[in-house]
Amino acid sequence: MATQREVRNRIASFKNIQKITRAMEAVSAARLRRAEKRIAALRPYADALRRMAAQAASDAGPEIGRIPLLATREREEHVGVLLITADRGLAGAFNSQIVRSGIQLAAQIESDGARAVWFASGRRGISSLTFRGRELAGSFSGYTDRPGYRDARRIGDAVISAFLDGAVDRVEVIYNAYVSPLNQVATRATLLPASAAAVRAAGEGEAGDHKARRALPEYEPEPNQLLRELVPHYIEISIYRALLESAASEHGARMTAMRSATENAGELIQDLTLAMNRARQAEITQQILEVVAGAGELA
Amino acid sequence: MPHTKFPCEVLTPEGEAFNDEVEQVSTRTTLGLIGILANHAPLLARLEPTELRLYRSDSEILRYAQGEGFMQVADSRALLLVGEATPIEELDRAELESSRARALQLLETTPEDSEARARAARQLKRAETFLGLIGADARH
Repeated sequence: MATQREVRNRIASFKNIQKITRAMEAVSAARLRRAEKRIAALRPYADALRRMAAQAASDAGPEIGRIPLLATREREEHVGVLLITADRGLAGAFNSQIVRSGIQLAAQIESDGARAVWFASGRRGISSLTFRGRELAGSFSGYTDRPGYRDARRIGDAVISAFLDGAVDRVEVIYNAYVSPLNQVATRATLLPASAAAVRAAGEGEAGDHKARRALPEYEPEPNQLLRELVPHYIEISIYRALLESAASEHGARMTAMRSATENAGELIQDLTLAMNRARQAEITQQILEVVAGAGELA
Repeated sequence: MPHTKFPCEVLTPEGEAFNDEVEQVSTRTTLGLIGILANHAPLLARLEPTELRLYRSDSEILRYAQGEGFMQVADSRALLLVGEATPIEELDRAELESSRARALQLLETTPEDSEARARAARQLKRAETFLGLIGADARH
């Protein structure tokens, strides 16, 4: 049986752990609020961009089918898999569920007779893939808890170039979509080719009645050329959005992980306090028994 | 003579850079420099890295280092969607210089006619344009 001193030391160390996890929870909560604000800040931009793309698409007419970034390829030999993870751990299953989905997707791609080409954002994903002996065509890190648009552009440069230069025929992205601080869902989406239908449909309804009363605008350059330029931008925004959602999810996941760590430490402290009290009581009982026995001897 | 004012909004993916009334917007499209006054004809244009000037009045001119993007003019409103819009005095020379160096290196190593090379060329253009703005700003 552990002595009182040992138990007391363990309680003290759990209390220290609890202080740290509680502080980490508070930090994550503050960062989560900031990340949520950044998602909100992107929305007006993304909406306006979609409306512009939809307008250019409706004025470009059938040309839209000839934009390489919107064209599905009949034969897929290489499929890019972009994993969006975090630079740091201590966030529950946040990183591992992304890597797991990625590996599953790669197995599926390989069983379809194509090869997976890996891209990873976040140190955790990079090191997991490297550890598994996968070669990375692009790796990006150092920003995951506070991604900027510039970071999304760097990833966009890599995957869009790979697609247009023929290194990959399709790109799938896997990231933690932000549902709530308690709930992050590993989500897979096709990044490239972008869906022509989605570009056209965006802003429909409102685009319809706008068009009726609005004169055909002047275009610089021509609508189909402008659309060609808009689509990569649209894809970069999708990547930025995934990075932001992943960042919010990361803080949410860490907040939840740290909260349960704090609770677990609390339970352990309670159990140990109970054990310590029991040990102390046992010692007292023992001493009383000894005194009583001693008194019996004397009597 | 004061010009008529019209609403102008400058959005970046990281948030709103400007949203107020202006007398004139001056920027650069693929065809060259363009100035937008009130009641300009509807326009949808691609923008190149340049100095974006927003004239609140003849004497008050806001100057930004503006990245690539798009501009829509409709119903006498200007909406600019740009990758970045940084007040010129906040530009980071060291960052721009390293970006220029990276772009030059990429231009050396990427194959001709590749998308990777085209993107490196755009990165170079941005870095050089912005570095030029810092130079011009220092001389002011």
